Amino acid sequence: MERKRNRVEIIHDMLRIIQEKGGKIRKTHLMYKANLSHKQMLLYLEELIKNNLVEDFKSGDKNFILITNRGREFSVKYLQMREFEKTFGL
Amino acid sequence: MVKIVFTPDWFLTSDVLIEIFSFLILCLFFMLAFKSYQLSKKKSVFYLGLGFFLIALAELSTILTKIILYYDTDVTHEIGKAIITYEIVKSVDIFYYLGFFLQRFLTLLGLYVIYKIPYDKKLTLDLLLSLYLIFVAALLSNSMYYFYHLTALVLLVFISRNYYKVYRKKKIRNTRILAFAFVILALSQTIFILSKLNSLLYATAQLIQLAGYIILLILIMKIIKNGKKEKQSGDNPRHA
Repeated sequence: MERKRNRVEIIHDMLRIIQEKGGKIRKTHLMYKANLSHKQMLLYLEELIKNNLVEDFKSGDKNFILITNRGREFSVKYLQMREFEKTFGL
Repeated sequence: MVKIVFTPDWFLTSDVLIEIFSFLILCLFFMLAFKSYQLSKKKSVFYLGLGFFLIALAELSTILTKIILYYDTDVTHEIGKAIITYEIVKSVDIFYYLGFFLQRFLTLLGLYVIYKIPYDKKLTLDLLLSLYLIFVAALLSNSMYYFYHLTALVLLVFISRNYYKVYRKKKIRNTRILAFAFVILALSQTIFILSKLNSLLYATAQLIQLAGYIILLILIMKIIKNGKKEKQSGDNPRHA
């Protein structure tokens, strides 16, 4: 059985999914791909936007989520820190 | 992780430079652990950072003590530039006593903290007993210089063993490099124990220690590089 993801892991998963989609994604797609409930996704998105890791973007009548440079940097730093912990077996 | 035994006169500046290099590497590990702790809030990562921080402080203590010892003209006049022995240092000033005591105490404590983490994941109350024993070991090293190196060697061997076990279990290349770096540092301590026999051995031990820290620097570079290019499995996130 898979263990539950912690807060930072969920945030990183969301950022990774946006990057894999070329830097922008629709909210509903993000919700399904990140395996989150609607309520959870709104809470995490609020935090991501507040920290300037992603931003809302409107194209026509569709709403997208865009990853910011700060979001990309966070993603890289997260992977480096995880690599560091793995190296020490932590 | 250096001590005063026999420093050849041609090596007086080089050993300080090696200490500065070691200090910078230890600071890098501390910073990586601290940043990692900020993200994950894992106590084990915090204690790992603490271990590196203590050893970095020990290096700083050595650097400051040696700089004053080597370059303070009054002192160098007194000790005669050529060979710095433990006995001479003993006679110079309580400052040097304190400087090298701090170096030994903090290094042993830092190594102990790093050794304990993979097993306990947290530090327990027996730290107080260990703290006392490390204090005694550092104190005894004032009169028996090899006692410090022997204790550091034992800790480094156990740390290397820990990381080798982690490598055997998880097969992570970086962990193998980490274990190897600690083996090299352990080897340098073995030669430090013998350094009283010949001043050349002291320089050799320092150079081996430098090799250990260079390997740790390579490891840092690999961690940063691997982190940048790591890819995760695409559409299969774990359940929230």
